[in-house]
Amino acid sequence: MFEFFFKYPSPVFSKGSFVLLSGWPLWLLFALAAAVAAGLGFLVLKRAAKGHVTGLPAVAIWIMQTALAAILLFMLWHPALSIATLKPQQNIVAVVVDDSASMAQNDEAGGATRKAAAENVLNSGLINALRQKFQVRLYRMTGALDRFDKLEQLTATATSTHIGDGLKQVVADAASLPIGAVVLVSDGADNTGGVDLETIAEIRRQRIPIHTIGFGKEQAERDIELSDVQVPARALPDSRLSAVVSFQQRGFSGQKAKITLKDGGKVLAQQQVTLKNDGVAQSEPVLFSAGTAGVRAVEISIEPLSGEVNAKNNLVTRLVNVDARKPRILYLEGEPRWEFKFLRRAVEDDRTIDLVTMLRTTQNKIYRQGIANADELKDGFPTKVEELFAFDGLIFGSVDAPYLTPSQQTLIKDFVDRRGGGVLFLGGRDALADGGWKQSGDMELLPVVLPDRKNTFVRVGATVELTGAGRDSLITRLEEDPAKNFERWKKLPYVMNFQDPGEPKPGAVVLVDAIPTTGGRVPLLITQNYGRGRTAIFSTGGSWRWQMLQPLADKSHEMFYQQLLRWLVADTPRRVTTSTPKQVISDESHATIRAEVRDRTYLQASDAKTEAHVLGPGGIAETIEMRPDPIEQGVFTADYTTPKPGSYLVEVVATRGTEELGRDTITLRREDGVAENFHTQQNRELLEKLSSETGGRYYKPQDAQRLGTDISYSEAGINIRETLDLWDMPILFLLLIALRAAEWVFRRKWGVI
Amino acid sequence: MRSPPFMRFRTVLTASILGLAAWGALQAQKPFKEYPAIEYGDFPIPPDATTSHEWTRARLRYPDVAGYPGRTFGDFGFPGYWTMDYPRADRHTLTGVRRLTRIDARSVEQVVSLDGSDDIYNWPMLYGVEVGYWNLPLDQAKQLREYLDRGGFLMVDDFHGTREWDIFMSSLGRVFPDRQWADIPDTDPIFNTLYDARERVQIPGAQFLQTGRTYERDGYQAHWRAMYDDRGRVVVAICHNMDMGDAIEHSDDPHYPENMASNAYRINMNYFVYDLTH
Repeated sequence: MFEFFFKYPSPVFSKGSFVLLSGWPLWLLFALAAAVAAGLGFLVLKRAAKGHVTGLPAVAIWIMQTALAAILLFMLWHPALSIATLKPQQNIVAVVVDDSASMAQNDEAGGATRKAAAENVLNSGLINALRQKFQVRLYRMTGALDRFDKLEQLTATATSTHIGDGLKQVVADAASLPIGAVVLVSDGADNTGGVDLETIAEIRRQRIPIHTIGFGKEQAERDIELSDVQVPARALPDSRLSAVVSFQQRGFSGQKAKITLKDGGKVLAQQQVTLKNDGVAQSEPVLFSAGTAGVRAVEISIEPLSGEVNAKNNLVTRLVNVDARKPRILYLEGEPRWEFKFLRRAVEDDRTIDLVTMLRTTQNKIYRQGIANADELKDGFPTKVEELFAFDGLIFGSVDAPYLTPSQQTLIKDFVDRRGGGVLFLGGRDALADGGWKQSGDMELLPVVLPDRKNTFVRVGATVELTGAGRDSLITRLEEDPAKNFERWKKLPYVMNFQDPGEPKPGAVVLVDAIPTTGGRVPLLITQNYGRGRTAIFSTGGSWRWQMLQPLADKSHEMFYQQLLRWLVADTPRRVTTSTPKQVISDESHATIRAEVRDRTYLQASDAKTEAHVLGPGGIAETIEMRPDPIEQGVFTADYTTPKPGSYLVEVVATRGTEELGRDTITLRREDGVAENFHTQQNRELLEKLSSETGGRYYKPQDAQRLGTDISYSEAGINIRETLDLWDMPILFLLLIALRAAEWVFRRKWGVI
Repeated sequence: MRSPPFMRFRTVLTASILGLAAWGALQAQKPFKEYPAIEYGDFPIPPDATTSHEWTRARLRYPDVAGYPGRTFGDFGFPGYWTMDYPRADRHTLTGVRRLTRIDARSVEQVVSLDGSDDIYNWPMLYGVEVGYWNLPLDQAKQLREYLDRGGFLMVDDFHGTREWDIFMSSLGRVFPDRQWADIPDTDPIFNTLYDARERVQIPGAQFLQTGRTYERDGYQAHWRAMYDDRGRVVVAICHNMDMGDAIEHSDDPHYPENMASNAYRINMNYFVYDLTH
């Protein structure tokens, strides 16, 4: 239809540049148009004065006559389009066909597969039409880009789709071949999440238009798809962890679904959820125990519902490295008191926490417990970096700040900021503001601005209540069910003392409030991140009543302190910390390994020699030298290509001279045949974006035959510039006729003929 | 705008329930009270007796084989063996705690009973005197076991000889039907938390001032015994054939041997700090 009115297909107008071929100046066109308009206006006014035509009819007639004259003048100036056109038989058109497993989905008309539909489009004249003007090269996109000759060679079995990588290769070919355009036949279901900007920029530089033909339904009718699962990469043994399971569904709104977490067939957790509306992203936290030390391959699944079209996208695997380490926490207490005794008891069953305590029993005596040897801490609280930084966390009880020297206070700040440790401050008669911490060098660490007064510690009864943040926190989770957990906290026995910690700082999170019997509300448990570490205040010395005033079987007190102390130290880094963006790589081979290396004093060790030793399936054993990151000090990276699917153990060792700075291990897992089960709907957005960014066009399969004509207009390859007349477009003549006809009709109506 | 009557009623009702709940919760911890005793009738109460502090030693008010509670002397009730040395020994002990340690101690003791209420759980350090006469019924024995299992600590003192040991054990057997007592080795941390108390003497009661004997009845040798929990912690410290209560009670008497009184203080401080650290 467009072409009928405008003589040329729409791409000609979008790609061509407009020119006037008469050679006469443009201002003359406007001047003449204005003169004609004025002259016609004069005539209309003159007639109006004689009473022939007046008012609205006069204005309408003037407009129609002026428009007619303007169109005629425009046509006289010889309008045309200048456009680059591929030279016939001298250019190559690359037809890139997606041959991944998602193309085997049978969601095309009549139950045909996407592959069959694509073959049908290509065989129904498109290939022949292209071949009449161009050389056609057929490529199929599997893991890499392969050339092929016949459509029968397509199998739709490739385990992944990397559109960006495929196009990069075409662009590389274009450096030596006159590739004038690319036709991408795909469902757009890219496993890497899209085409990177660098690739698009390169295509744009080469001016190669990419025309896309999209296959597959844009929305599944009845399906639940796991879009992501976030689990901590590392954990301490027996930790309570949260897996945040994100998914979408269509066709099952309001129904119940069951999320299951398994480790090697053993069910770790199950949770029933109610599905939200179609297409709405839904995230559900599921709690589970990390279990014993080792690598957990946690399978997260949503039980397929009846009639679900794709059950394979209901399952993903995540790795959790449960570290065998036992973080050490040093607890300095200024006076013998019940909180000290019951805190020690609360964590004695926790196999993952090594609690070392120093208790000031008298003015000059310190009672040490949990020490590694008789000499440890014999001279009091550590004064050396190496001694203090050997711990992962610190607890200060009812200890006044002046008990510590200014250099010890600085060490504590460095412990959090540089070492990445956690520090917990408890309430007490010599703690926080009453203990002079406001004036100490460690004030900056605290998650609160301490009050400017003393006597903030009071022996007044108070019940406790979770805040909004506390309801979501794993530190305060005593019950799996958030509502039950909230009620359980409200029912905890009263604490008989608390301390006003002051105002929480911006960025601090209040998890628990105390509600004194005297009225009001005081923050009781506040946390915040500071530097590489974290700090918290638990502003009471009276939680021991949660143990003494509840039946022996109640483990609220133990659970709370175990979870609080694990939070305190779980993320405390070691001297070498290894990570990777994705521990489970699906249907790709590339992995990036990153290591942060620090020396004994936890300063960045950019001069370290850092190697990654990789052990993989089938006896793979390789050593890779890691490169120092040019931007981040103390950071080393390495790229590793996994040769085959399976689990890979990567141990990173950092040395400086003959001294070993540290070592750390991480596990990777390569899975094949998984990625194509996800995001199987047609990603039209990606295909359209790719076309529009490169000067191409997106086509539905039924419109694809127009490509044979449209594809000629390209600035890539070998092209010539053509000038296409516009003065003879049918639309202009139709407009002229329409204007005259309209004027005649109106005149008849108004009786002014 | 005034709230509708039912809204006001609901508000008042909610406030009343919350108030009652808070009041009820705090009532679980009973206030200080002084009882009539065998030796002292009207012992002066320190001016700061009602000031709140972190710690005090609770004195166990137990039923005994002599008929307490219920037994009367004419118009007067028998105060019970639990009141022996009370409250003078307690006040001296607490003064010693304040002077010798950093424990934030109250100036007065707290008398507690195994009465089935939650009060006793507010006082995790418990002292029982003259337990050679105690007679715990099964319900009290069970509560004492629950108290100890939750984290409480019991120190018993001032009972002598075989007969009183047997009486003591018949009640303790009801508390710990599944456990046996044991002698505390000198290497146990309980003898080393504050003072090195590996070398100990038999600490006699006030009768020593008249008789010159350090023992009573057939209790010729002091026994430092304990009931341990599953983790090897002392939960009942049994001071048999000695009278540390008297030693501290009379520590301001120039006739009572200073070394005995000091020994008693050191043992007591060690036990208190042990309880607060284990």
